[in-house]
Amino acid sequence: MIGLPSFRLHRPTSIEEAVGLLAEHRDDAKLLAGGTDLLVNLRHGLATPSHIVSLAEVPGLDRIDCSPEHGLTIGALSTLESLATHPGVEESFPVVVRAARTISGPTLRAMGTVGGNLCLDTRCHWYNQSFFWRQACGFCLKKDGTACHVAPGSSLCWAAYSGDLAPAFLVLGAEIKLLSVRGERRVPLDRFFLDDGLRKFDMASDELLTQVCVSATRAHLRGVYSKLRIRGALDYPLAGVAAAARIAGGGTFHEAALALTAVGPRPFLVEGATEILEGLRANDEDAIERVAHLARRLSNPMNTTWAMQPAYRRLRVGLFARDALREMGERGP
Amino acid sequence: MQKEALRLRVNGSLREALVPHHRSLLDFLRDDLELTGTKRGCDDGSCGACTVLLDGCSRLSCITLAHGVPGRSVTTIEGAGQPGRLSDLQLAFISEGGLQCGFCTPGMVLAAGALLQRIPHPSEEQVREGLSNNSCRCTGYGRIVQAVRRAAGAPEETP
Amino acid sequence: MTDHWTARSEPLLDAEERVSGRKLYVDDLRLPDTLVARFLRSPNAHARIVSIDVSRALATPGVKSVITGLDAPRRYGVLPVGHDETALAVDKVRYAGQEVACVAAETEEIAEDALRKIVIQYELLTAHLSAHSAMAATHHLVHDDKPGNIEKEYHHSFGDSVRGLAEADVVVADTFYHPRVSQAATEPHGTLARFDGADHWTIWTSTQTPRHVQRGVALALDVPAESIRVIPCAVGGGFGGKSETFPQDVSAALLSRITGAPVRIRLSREEVFTLHRGRPENYVRMRLGLRRDGKVTAVECEVIQDGGAFCGYGVATILYSGALLGAIYDIDNIRYDGYRVLTNKPACGPMRGHGTIATRHAFEALLDQAAVALDLDPLDVRRANLLKPNSRTVNDLRVTSYGYPECLERVAEASSWKARRGRMPRGRGLGMAGSHYVSGAANSIVRGSSPHSTVVIEIDPSGRVTLLTGAAEIGQGSDTVLALVAARRLGLEASAIRVISGDTALTPPDLGSYSSRVTFMTGNAALEAATRLAARLKQAAGKRLGLPPDALVLAGGAVRSAPGGPMLLAFQDAVRMAAGGEGQLIEKGSYLPPGEAQGGRFPGSGVGPGVAYSYSAQVVEVQVNEETGEVRVERVWAAHDCGKALNPQAVMGQVEGSVWMGLGQALSEELHYSPQGLLLNGGLLEYRIPGAVESPPVEVFIVESHDPEGPFGAKEAGEGSVAAVIPALTNAIHDAIGVWITELPITPERVLAAIQRQGHGSGAKPALPRPRRRENASARP
Repeated sequence: MIGLPSFRLHRPTSIEEAVGLLAEHRDDAKLLAGGTDLLVNLRHGLATPSHIVSLAEVPGLDRIDCSPEHGLTIGALSTLESLATHPGVEESFPVVVRAARTISGPTLRAMGTVGGNLCLDTRCHWYNQSFFWRQACGFCLKKDGTACHVAPGSSLCWAAYSGDLAPAFLVLGAEIKLLSVRGERRVPLDRFFLDDGLRKFDMASDELLTQVCVSATRAHLRGVYSKLRIRGALDYPLAGVAAAARIAGGGTFHEAALALTAVGPRPFLVEGATEILEGLRANDEDAIERVAHLARRLSNPMNTTWAMQPAYRRLRVGLFARDALREMGERGP
Repeated sequence: MQKEALRLRVNGSLREALVPHHRSLLDFLRDDLELTGTKRGCDDGSCGACTVLLDGCSRLSCITLAHGVPGRSVTTIEGAGQPGRLSDLQLAFISEGGLQCGFCTPGMVLAAGALLQRIPHPSEEQVREGLSNNSCRCTGYGRIVQAVRRAAGAPEETP
Repeated sequence: MTDHWTARSEPLLDAEERVSGRKLYVDDLRLPDTLVARFLRSPNAHARIVSIDVSRALATPGVKSVITGLDAPRRYGVLPVGHDETALAVDKVRYAGQEVACVAAETEEIAEDALRKIVIQYELLTAHLSAHSAMAATHHLVHDDKPGNIEKEYHHSFGDSVRGLAEADVVVADTFYHPRVSQAATEPHGTLARFDGADHWTIWTSTQTPRHVQRGVALALDVPAESIRVIPCAVGGGFGGKSETFPQDVSAALLSRITGAPVRIRLSREEVFTLHRGRPENYVRMRLGLRRDGKVTAVECEVIQDGGAFCGYGVATILYSGALLGAIYDIDNIRYDGYRVLTNKPACGPMRGHGTIATRHAFEALLDQAAVALDLDPLDVRRANLLKPNSRTVNDLRVTSYGYPECLERVAEASSWKARRGRMPRGRGLGMAGSHYVSGAANSIVRGSSPHSTVVIEIDPSGRVTLLTGAAEIGQGSDTVLALVAARRLGLEASAIRVISGDTALTPPDLGSYSSRVTFMTGNAALEAATRLAARLKQAAGKRLGLPPDALVLAGGAVRSAPGGPMLLAFQDAVRMAAGGEGQLIEKGSYLPPGEAQGGRFPGSGVGPGVAYSYSAQVVEVQVNEETGEVRVERVWAAHDCGKALNPQAVMGQVEGSVWMGLGQALSEELHYSPQGLLLNGGLLEYRIPGAVESPPVEVFIVESHDPEGPFGAKEAGEGSVAAVIPALTNAIHDAIGVWITELPITPERVLAAIQRQGHGSGAKPALPRPRRRENASARP
C-alpha cells in the first residue's frame, strides 16, 4: 500500500491529555513520536489503530539532563540525533552516545526518539512485509495468523528486538518511567523487556514511556557498542553488544556489564559477566574469553532474517564481547 | 475519513488545505500543493528521495504525517533554489557531476544543505555519514561527496 | 573540416531542472480527472485460475472499471521469439505477485478497497522455484510448450576446445553462482495513459525504450502501433529495468479506453521488486586451459540461468553470456552450453552489463587461478592473451578499436601493481580483472533492414536548432551527448541545441536506450544529419561570400575561414540563405550497422555482435578480516576505453556508477525468495544497495582508442565497467588471504566458509543444477 490507512489523529498538548487519550482508546490507539517505525508498520497493516496519539505538541518530554552529580535523565521525546551529538552524555555515559550514533543515518536520527527506539517493534522477515505478502503466506503468529514460520509449533514469537539503545542503557542499569492515568511507575529497564515478540514490553496499552534515567553512580564508565550490519549505515542490527565498565587505577574491571540486542525477542544483560570480571585485571584474557563465551552462549538468534545465519550472528556476539572488553581495558573512555 | 484544515508554512508562504489525518507530508506536498520536486521512492523511509527540511533539519516526508508537524516551517526543493537562482550547493552538484538521473537529487541537495548547517566544513567521512539516509543508484556517491565538499569551500581534489 | 574533438566536460543539458526538482517524471504529471489503478496480484507462485468474481469490486462506489486477463488476452513480449506474456494473467498465474486484475477508481484507497473484494479461486500447481527443480520437472510446466522448462538452450563450439584443453599445460576449472539482483532504480515505474478517441492513445511512461512500449501495447491491445503515442518522461534511472512493455502500460491504456478518463498507475517499491526484470540467477561451470606462458588454449563454459516465468530478453541474455567469452581476449577454442530456464519467479531482464557478469567473473577468476598455478603475474597472463585491433574472433565477432591493453597498463601503474601485489601484509590484497561490452548491438531485436537510429535536426530562420531523437534520456546524458555531437558539427555550443527525445509521435525511429547503443548509433545519426546541414550552410555561405564551401568552417556560432578566424557570416544569416524560401532547414541522418559487424550464421549468432566494444580493466584493493570474514574495499582503479570521451565528466560518471553497481552485486545485493516463492526482501531496507558510507573511492582513467566508426571515435561508457569489478575483488581477496570466492554476494559467512574449506582440503560447495543433455540439440557453426 502506498498511502496510509485512515485513522483519527489526536494531538494532545499536555502529557495528562496524552495519557487520558491512551486510557480512553487503549488497544485501539497507537502513540506517534518520530514515526519512523509506526508509519512503516501502518502501511504494512502491522498496526491497525483507529486512533493515533501524536506527541508532537506535548511539551517537556525532550529534555536531556546530564551531570556527573545527578546522573542522566532523558525525556522520551528527545531525538536520537540530540543524544548522539550531546557532549555531556558523550563525556559521562559514552556507551549511550556510541549506540545512538550507529542508528540509521542523521535524517532518521533527527526524527526518531529515544522512547521510540526503546519501544521499537520486534522484527522478522515473516512479519515486516506488506499485507499482500503476509496474506499470501498465511500470516504469522505475531500478526493476523496463528503459526510461527521461524519456529513452527512455537507459541512464542521469535521476532528479534532490534533497538540499539536498549543494550547501552541496560549496561548502565537504567530505569524508565511509565506514566498512565493510574499514576507513574519506575521500572528497571532489564525488567521492561519480555522474552516474547508478541508481548514485548511490560507496558500496558494506556502507559506512556516518559523518561529514561541512569544513576550518577554509573557516570564515567568506559563504554563500547558494536553492531553487526551489512552496510555502513541505515541497517538495523543483526547483532549488537554493549559493554560498560570502570577500569580502576590498577587496571582492574569494576561494575563491568554486557548486554545484547538483535539476537532474540528482547535485549538482555549477560548474566554473570559482572561477577566473572569484578576485580580482575583488564588484560586477563582468560576472563575475557569466558565472558565472550558466555555472551555467545546466551545469545539466541533465530532465522528471523534471511540476511545472516544465526551461527554467524552468535559468532560475532562472542567476538564483539571480547573486543569490547579488550578495548575498555586498553584505553578510555 | 477525518479531514481537518491544515496550515503549514511551506517555502515561506502559509499554505492551507483540508487534509485527511492519515495523509503523509509527502502526499500533501505532491498532491495537495503540487510541489512534485519532492520524490517518492520507497514508501518506508529507506531511500531519502522524499527528504524535505523542517525548520532547517532534514526529514523524511514519506514517514511524516502532514498533520504531525504543526507550526513548523517546511522547505522543499522548490524553495531551495530554482533555475536562475540556484544555490551554491546546487551549482556544485552540477559542476561536479553529482547527479545523473536526478531522482534522488532534490532530497540529496536538501539533506546536504542540512548537513552543512550542522557542520559547515565537513570531512569526506562526515559528508558520507551525513548523506547516509539518501540513496543514489547512479553516481556511486563520489561526485556527490565532492560536490558537497566543494560547496563547503573544500579545495578541488587532486587524485 | 577536421574531426578533432576538444574534450570539455559539459553538464547535462537539463541539470538545472533536475537539481531544482523541476524535471517532470511520470508520477509528477497531473491531468484533470485522472483515475488511478491498482493491481490485484497472485499470492501463489503457480496456480490455475478456476474463477474470478469481480462483481463486488465493480459495485464499490468510486470504482470505474475492473479488468482481468481476458480483457487483453493477446500475448506480447519484447523478443519476437518470446511472445509469452499477457498484461494480466490468463488461465494461470506463473509467479507470486503476478498481476491478475486491475481496478481503476477515483482514488487509490478506493481501488485498494475494491481489490480486497475480488474473489479468485485457484487450483495450486507445482511451483518450480529453482533452476534445479524446474529442469527436473516433467509436469506442471511453467509454459506447456517448453519441455523441461527450458526456454532456450544453445550449444556453440568454435575451434576445438577438446584439443585446446589437451594442449594446455594447466587446466583450471570451477563453478560459480550469482543470485538474482535488481536494478532498483530510484524512481519506481509508473504509467499515465489517456485514450484520445478514434483509436489513439497517449501513454506517458517511465521507459528506456518508447518504441518497444509502443509495439508491445499495440500488440496487447490488437491495434496498429501508430495508434499508440508513447512519451517517455524524465526517467529516474533505468539500468535495463525499464526496457519492456509492462502490465501497467497495457492496463492503463485499456482502462482509459473503457472509462474515457486518463488512468494513472504508480508502483509501490514492493511492486517494482515484484516486477523485477533484473539479473537472473546464474550457475556457471567453466574450464580454462593455458599454456605455460599464460596463453589461453581453450575455454569451456556452461551457463544455467534461472530467468523466471517469462522470456523477456532471456534468449538474448543467455546468448550474451556465451558470445562475450569472445572479443576481449584472443581465444581459438570456445565451447559454450547455455540453458535459459523458466521458473515460477518474476521474469528477469536486461540489467546493465546484460548477460556478461557471471561468465566474466568466472573467466577472470580462472585466469588468476591459472596464474597462481603457473606462477605468473595475473597482469602478464592478461597481456599474453590480447587481441589485435581490427580482427575477428573465433565466434565471428568483429573487433575494431581495442584499448584494453592500455586499460590494463593504466590501472597496473596507478595501483603500483608490480610493487604491491602479493607483497602486502596478510589480509590486504590487490586484484585485477577486465571486462567489455557491446557499444550497441549490431542486430536489432526487431528484424528488418531499417536503420537502428534516425535523427532529424531542424534549424529555424532565427538560427535555433532542434534535434529530434527517439532515444530516451534516462539520466545517462544521451540528450547532452547528441547535442554535443551536432553542435560540434554546426560550430555551436551544446546548450544552443534543443533536444526533443523519445516521443514516438514527434521523433524519428530509434530502438531506444539500451545495450549501450545511443552514443554510437544515435550519435552517428546525429552526426550525419548535422554534417548534411553543415554542408548546406557552407554551400549557401560560400555562394554569398564568393568562396568555395571547402574553404569555410562553422565555428563559434559563425561561418569562418578557420576555427579561430574572423567571422565571415553570422550563423543565422547562413541559415536564412541556405533555407531560402523554405524558411526552415531540416535534415535527417540515420545509422544502420555495417553487415560485417553483424556476426556469423549459426543459431544464436545474432546476439553478441556489437558495432564496437568498450573495454575496462580494474584493480581493487581490499582488506579482509579473517576472523570475521568481513571484506572492505579500500579503493578501485578503473580504466575504461570509451573510444573518445565526448563528455569526459559524463563518461567518468558512468564508469564510477558502473563500478559501484558491480560492487553492490559483489558485496551486498541479492534477492531472496521464500519457500513458496514470495520475495523476502522487496524493499530498499532489505535489498541492500550500498550507501555513501561504505562506498569506496573509484578512480577513473579514460582510455581513448578512437573507434574508426564511432562518432568522433566514441564508444559506450555505461556498461563495460560493471563486470570487471567483481572478479577484480575476488582476485584481490585471494591475494589478501589465499581463498577463491566463487559465489555472490561475498558475505562474511561465505568468506569464512571458504577459509574453512581451504583448511579442510577439498570443496563442499553447494551443487549446481545439472542439465539433461539432449543429443540432437547441438548446433555447430
